[in-house]
Amino acid sequence: MDQKVLVVDQQKCTGCRLCELVCSVFHTGTSNPSRARVKIIKWEDVGIYLPMACNHCEKAYCVEVCPTKACHREPENNNRVTIDKNLCIGCRTCIIACPFGHPFFDVQDRVTVKCDYCDGDPQCVRFCDMKAIAFMDADKTNVAKKREAALKFKASIHTAR
Amino acid sequence: MAAENIHPYRKARHVRPQKEWKEIIAVYLYLAGMGAGSFVIGTLISWMGVKLNPPFLSSINLFGYSLNLSRIPIFWGPIMVAIGAPFLILDLGIKWRFMYACLNPRTSWVARGFIILSVFIILGLALLAKSILPFDWLHADSALWRIPEVIALVFAFATAIYTGILLKATKSVPLWNTSLLPLLFLVSALSTGSMSIILSTLGTGLFSHNAGPLKVLMGSEQVLVVIEGIILYLFLSRRYRAAEQGKDSVRLLLFGEMKMIFWGGVVLLGFIFPVVLETIASFFPGNFVAIFVAGIFLLCGGFFLRLGILHAGIKDQIPMHRLMEIQYDMMAGRTKAT
Repeated sequence: MDQKVLVVDQQKCTGCRLCELVCSVFHTGTSNPSRARVKIIKWEDVGIYLPMACNHCEKAYCVEVCPTKACHREPENNNRVTIDKNLCIGCRTCIIACPFGHPFFDVQDRVTVKCDYCDGDPQCVRFCDMKAIAFMDADKTNVAKKREAALKFKASIHTAR
Repeated sequence: MAAENIHPYRKARHVRPQKEWKEIIAVYLYLAGMGAGSFVIGTLISWMGVKLNPPFLSSINLFGYSLNLSRIPIFWGPIMVAIGAPFLILDLGIKWRFMYACLNPRTSWVARGFIILSVFIILGLALLAKSILPFDWLHADSALWRIPEVIALVFAFATAIYTGILLKATKSVPLWNTSLLPLLFLVSALSTGSMSIILSTLGTGLFSHNAGPLKVLMGSEQVLVVIEGIILYLFLSRRYRAAEQGKDSVRLLLFGEMKMIFWGGVVLLGFIFPVVLETIASFFPGNFVAIFVAGIFLLCGGFFLRLGILHAGIKDQIPMHRLMEIQYDMMAGRTKAT
């Protein structure tokens, strides 16, 4: 299976927001995190940082409600859900429909935008120093999590000894 | 001593209704609903053959043609829908692209709604024009006109219901995701529509004040208001139990920052004042003031109903939210302990 997905490890995120910056530079040519396709939600008082990226859901509500088919699935590109900027009318129905709060309204282009895996090379993954976001094969996400859990377990045994 | 913020994350979640669709969509929902409702009532009045008095201004001369104005007060619904539909376009990011929506009718309810509205506006305005224009070749009394009238009536119902389906179709807002919402908007459309016809006929002299048709119309309008109240109660009570965010939405509407809109706008203006004023008016035949004020209040109530429901929409919770709540609790507890 060659389909890849974005996997977020919230525990690793330090809230530096570099991913937002590089995302906006890649997609808009400006260093403006408010136009990024990934958002870091922060609870500074307890130190929780949660990168929110599109899940490219199997049953995507944004695709269902889009009146112009601007929001569509591309099976040939990692089965991603993407928005055609030339077809979007900016009705924001997809923003209301998405339970993850993902598509964003770009106030400059007046259309809705969302993560498109940067055409196969996600910049957030490339620049994340902590490797909190990974772009990996969909059927290997569990393996990676299990490996990390095993490594943690190994480290705790070493500490105990 | 300042009150301790015991659960800031939960507190923040409670007051986050959707901000994407604002007043402009509420205006559209209201005008489309009221216009469609008044067309339904107007067509039914016309079909029942209710004898209408000629209004004080029954016709005007324009470019040598005598235009018949006697039926405008019961057929002006499509004008309201035609005024309301552009509000939907005004809300778009790129307004000129609204045509893209009607090119893909099978894709979504927004696209289907565009077609429903277009057909209703075109047919409704054509029927209104037929009732005004004096041309003989239109054969205004022909039975064949029943066909477009029936089609327009079906699309008027569809327009009134669609205003609710538009919200229901988004799915991820528990307050809206119920079949009771289209039903509530339909009954509200019929009640505001019938009241708008009562208001528009009050000054024109189409109905004598004590005439039977007006009494029947007012009686049916009051019944509709009562049914609307029952459906609103069922809607709120079911949504309160539907999901955590449904409960949040109802609480926001009833006791939160939307309480003025709900209790003042919907309950007082939309239900209590009209019923009380119409009851008072029934004791003073010939006095239009109470009915007029009741009508204005009822129409305002219809708008606030849509505004309140639109603004109180809170998105469904995803499992990640619950995980974050648990993590927040753990971290907050740890911070407090140290």
